[in-house]
Amino acid sequence: MAGLFRLFGSFVLIALGAYGGGLVTIPLIQHEIVEKHNWLGFEEMAGLVAIAQITPGPIAINSATFVGFRLGSFLGSLTATVAVVLPSLTILTALTPFLEKVQTSSHVLKIRQGLQMGVLSLIIFAVWSYGTAVMNGIPEIMTGIAAFAFLVAFEGKIHPFLVILGSGLLGICIF
Amino acid sequence: MKTPRYWTIFWTFFRIGLFTLGGGLAMATVIRHELVLQRRWIKDEDFLSELSTATLIPGVIAVNLAFLQGRRLRGKGGSFAAIMGTVLPSFLVILLIATVAMPYFSHPVVASFLKGCAIGVAGLLGFAAYTFGRKYVRDYRNMLVCAVGLVVIAVLGMHPVWAVIVCGVVGYTWHTFTAKNTQNSDR
Repeated sequence: MAGLFRLFGSFVLIALGAYGGGLVTIPLIQHEIVEKHNWLGFEEMAGLVAIAQITPGPIAINSATFVGFRLGSFLGSLTATVAVVLPSLTILTALTPFLEKVQTSSHVLKIRQGLQMGVLSLIIFAVWSYGTAVMNGIPEIMTGIAAFAFLVAFEGKIHPFLVILGSGLLGICIF
Repeated sequence: MKTPRYWTIFWTFFRIGLFTLGGGLAMATVIRHELVLQRRWIKDEDFLSELSTATLIPGVIAVNLAFLQGRRLRGKGGSFAAIMGTVLPSFLVILLIATVAMPYFSHPVVASFLKGCAIGVAGLLGFAAYTFGRKYVRDYRNMLVCAVGLVVIAVLGMHPVWAVIVCGVVGYTWHTFTAKNTQNSDR
């Protein structure tokens, strides 16, 4: 079982790197939980993260609570959830007096452009590392391509929730 | 405008957290609808500038947004109420699923459902890369900064967090450098 302290540290890191939304937590969770600490196998992690995507609320919180529960039951889920909220709280409290300046500073805008590219590189990396791990056969690859094609074809008209759910139902039929 | 009570702030964010699918940015749309358009607690320009701050600061976007809106509504206590309201529904729903459904995850039907969902998430990641790239990679500079990030994670095998940090630093120095260059050539 993962020590609560190390679990806490992992999710602080995951929250810090989750710059730009819940999807970015996927490569970070894969790195921290599966590859670095070996706390979960890839498939189990992928299942938990997929459920986090189709349950209500912020995806990062859902993932943290779920992975934390799996590793250390109630205390684990509490630890991971607090850890994932803490960076937001600390940084914003520290920045509160300067927030107006931060929003309009040209330095911040330049850093932001760079950070956005960092997030994009992280997502592209996740498409490769997560994608190749989860799509390990021809039917799997076809399902993934179909999900992608649906999202592109009906951009803005179809909720990602429905595509993930549809892939799950398709999964019951073919796997 | 009357100052809303802590309980009202908590309950507003709790309901949004409980009923919104699709993560932090989907929640932002509903929060705007409730706080700005329906209850008129917050001015739209204030909300939009704080939403952009929420995405700028590291951390969970929904929590950042709750912190900022809560603070605007009722100071520190308002922040606390809004954050609790955002986090608690997720926490409770996942605990419920974990205690009730987790024993069945190894059942073959559930396992293939989860596998299918995970593949759907891979499709969503691909879609995010596509839309994000189309929106932000407008010039060769951004493309190269992104390539630097990929080298950091994929080639050097460093922790993924480093890709974000290194790109921030590289992007900043590069944009500053080229901005100075154009100033010089103007002279």
